[in-house]
Amino acid sequence: MRKKLIWFALLCSTVFGALLATNSASQAAEKTYTIGTDITYAPFDFQGANGQYTGIDIDLIKAIAKAENIKIQLKPVGFNAAVQAVEANQMDGVIAGMTITNERKQQFDFSDPYYYAGEVMAVTKDSKIKSFKDLRGKHVALKVGTQGAAYAKSIQKKYGFTITEFDQSNDMYNDVVTGNSAAAFEDYPVMAYGIQNGIDLKIVTKPAAGGNYAFAVKKGENPELLTKFNKGLKTLKKNGQYDKIIAKYLGKDSVAKATATAKKQDNSLWGLVKQNHSALLSGLLQTLYLTVISIILATILGVIFGLMQVVPAKWANWTSSTLIYIFRGMPLLVLALFIYIGVPNLTGNKISAFIAGIITLTLNEGAYTAAFVSGGIRAVDRGQMEAARSLGLPYGKAMWRVILPQGVKIMIPSFINQFIITLKDTSILSVIGILELTQTGKIIIARNLQGFKVWTIVAIMYIVIITLLTWLSKAVERRINK
Amino acid sequence: MSAAENNRVIVTDLVKNYGSNEVLKGLNLTVKNNEVVCMIGPSGSGKSTFLRCLNKLEDPTKGKIVIDGYDISDSKTNMNKVREGIGMVFQHFNLFPNLTVLENVMLAPVELKKADKAVAEKEARALLVDVGLAEKADAYPASLSGGQEQRVAIARALAMHPDIMLFDEPTSALDPEMVGDVLDVMKKLAKQGMTMIVVTHEMGFAKEVADRVVFMADGHIMEEGNPQQIFDHPENPRTQEFLRKVLNA
Ligand SMILES: Nc1ncnc2c1ncn2[C@@H]1O[C@H](COP(=O)(O)OP(=O)(O)O)[C@@H](O)[C@H]1O
Ligand SMILES: [Mg+2]
Repeated sequence: MRKKLIWFALLCSTVFGALLATNSASQAAEKTYTIGTDITYAPFDFQGANGQYTGIDIDLIKAIAKAENIKIQLKPVGFNAAVQAVEANQMDGVIAGMTITNERKQQFDFSDPYYYAGEVMAVTKDSKIKSFKDLRGKHVALKVGTQGAAYAKSIQKKYGFTITEFDQSNDMYNDVVTGNSAAAFEDYPVMAYGIQNGIDLKIVTKPAAGGNYAFAVKKGENPELLTKFNKGLKTLKKNGQYDKIIAKYLGKDSVAKATATAKKQDNSLWGLVKQNHSALLSGLLQTLYLTVISIILATILGVIFGLMQVVPAKWANWTSSTLIYIFRGMPLLVLALFIYIGVPNLTGNKISAFIAGIITLTLNEGAYTAAFVSGGIRAVDRGQMEAARSLGLPYGKAMWRVILPQGVKIMIPSFINQFIITLKDTSILSVIGILELTQTGKIIIARNLQGFKVWTIVAIMYIVIITLLTWLSKAVERRINK
Repeated sequence: MSAAENNRVIVTDLVKNYGSNEVLKGLNLTVKNNEVVCMIGPSGSGKSTFLRCLNKLEDPTKGKIVIDGYDISDSKTNMNKVREGIGMVFQHFNLFPNLTVLENVMLAPVELKKADKAVAEKEARALLVDVGLAEKADAYPASLSGGQEQRVAIARALAMHPDIMLFDEPTSALDPEMVGDVLDVMKKLAKQGMTMIVVTHEMGFAKEVADRVVFMADGHIMEEGNPQQIFDHPENPRTQEFLRKVLNA
């Protein structure tokens, strides 16, 4: 038995080791820069109707990479995740409509600015609000970490309004459209583009407190990348490509074209499924991968920790209790961000969001599993262990042949429950930019603004797979209990 | 066999505390080969604790216990080996519900490589014949009566070929009509010369089978002697009082 435990532990560490190794091995190959972008920041970063990411930022960085002959890999993970990933050395640079500010200069080195934009306030079409003065006592929606949010906060005292902050532009707009908030603050081109593409708001102020958008790298890191960006930007401005890119998204023609496409779209539930089926399917697959891998690893880890709680060895009990306490106590969201962003800061090694996600789920679900595994073992009558030991069976053999088979039966309902929780918990990993089902939903909504219908589709998909998983687990349970 | 080798169990000044509660207060007892010792005494006097110290299901606090020449109070002694030589039968049987009757009996010999599977199975079936349950080999414990379960438990303990058998009130949890079958098995075992320590309230059994009867109270051995001495001429007032109560009940 003790040997089997050691094998389990070895297996676990090998799996983790291999995951980490493949990851660091890819770093050693010819330098490819990973660049984080926003996902819901049209016309700078957004998903086009064909599912490809597009926008001024995307076109610009691609053109510059081509001109300067550098390899880049774009990671559309959202503004916050991208900025934090660069801070944590998880990515090399970020281009996401990011305004140069003194505060940000503490953490980042900026390129030459590539776009100038001012902040505007938008309200519903029938709103009576005409200026900042009308905001007194009202509620304002902002997007976390944006220049618009900073500007609104700078005038908040003076005009006396309260604020709510959102992660996604679309959620911010919707909060105003539904009337929860009276106004939203956003960069002018972004707001204007959104309104042209069907957001039911109007702009009521002149662009103010303008800022320069620039490409950013972590302070002191990748200086050559910054130099190349600046050089490339100059080239594009000189040869007219820069103007072409801007015109493609903000010119008169583009607006008409976008409006036409928006009108043509079939926004029925079934129409949305048809348009997005490949994105939804790949999101679903990612969710299933995360679930299956995490369930397997969490079960192994949970059984090991659970056994460590009941074996007659104080250090093992203590270690296991402490680890369970920590990983059960930490909110999954915090754990995910800590592992993805915090750990690379400590160790200097990058980990992919997917692996960070697997580790997060394994630790959290493993801690819960450990708790009911040790509970199940303790629920087996004490006389069973005594009878087994009185025959001369060593502790491990007694545990393996007598206690565990009885304990497992007690644990099965908890296992099934935990599998379902794991599946649902994968949705939280959208914060670190993993393109699972929930994140896929967010991105689709950012493009088509059909929040209610898309969330309905996503919810149905979750219910269906949870039902399947439950059936499967119950079938296994019946088998074991036979 | 010399006199010393003739002793299967030698207990010297055994003390057992649970926290500040002293449960065994310095016991001395020697059990010879082939001897059947019955322990009687009021509930809570420490009989179970004493038995459980002999195979170290409980760790003695003080004192020395030597079993078949192994000093088990020494922490270096391999207890698993010693336990193989001591069979134990519990009040509540403690059969393994996840295994069939046959598997219950075979588990330890096979796991501990005392015999290969075929031999172990043959022996196990023979033991089940001895306890009168040959036809229950493939049943699960849940489908047996208490008396049947206890006889399987005895067969399970015997499968390791122990030199000593410990019984902790083996018939106390049984319906009266089941008691006889279990006692018959134990009598047969005693006749075959098994060394046995039996905690019991079956005074009839003790009178008939015991070579020696030990009366325990309050963590002390109050009195010991052959059945006639203890049952017909008890000297200690506590023994007299106890016997008056149980025999008039
Ligand atoms: N695990 C334990 N922890 C604390 N006290 C115990 C434990 N086991 C037994 N005792 C106490 O030891 C005393 C003797 O118990 P026991 O040996 O079971 O007596 P008997 O078998 O003679 O009825 C009782 O007072 C009982 O409460
Ligand atoms: Mg007792």
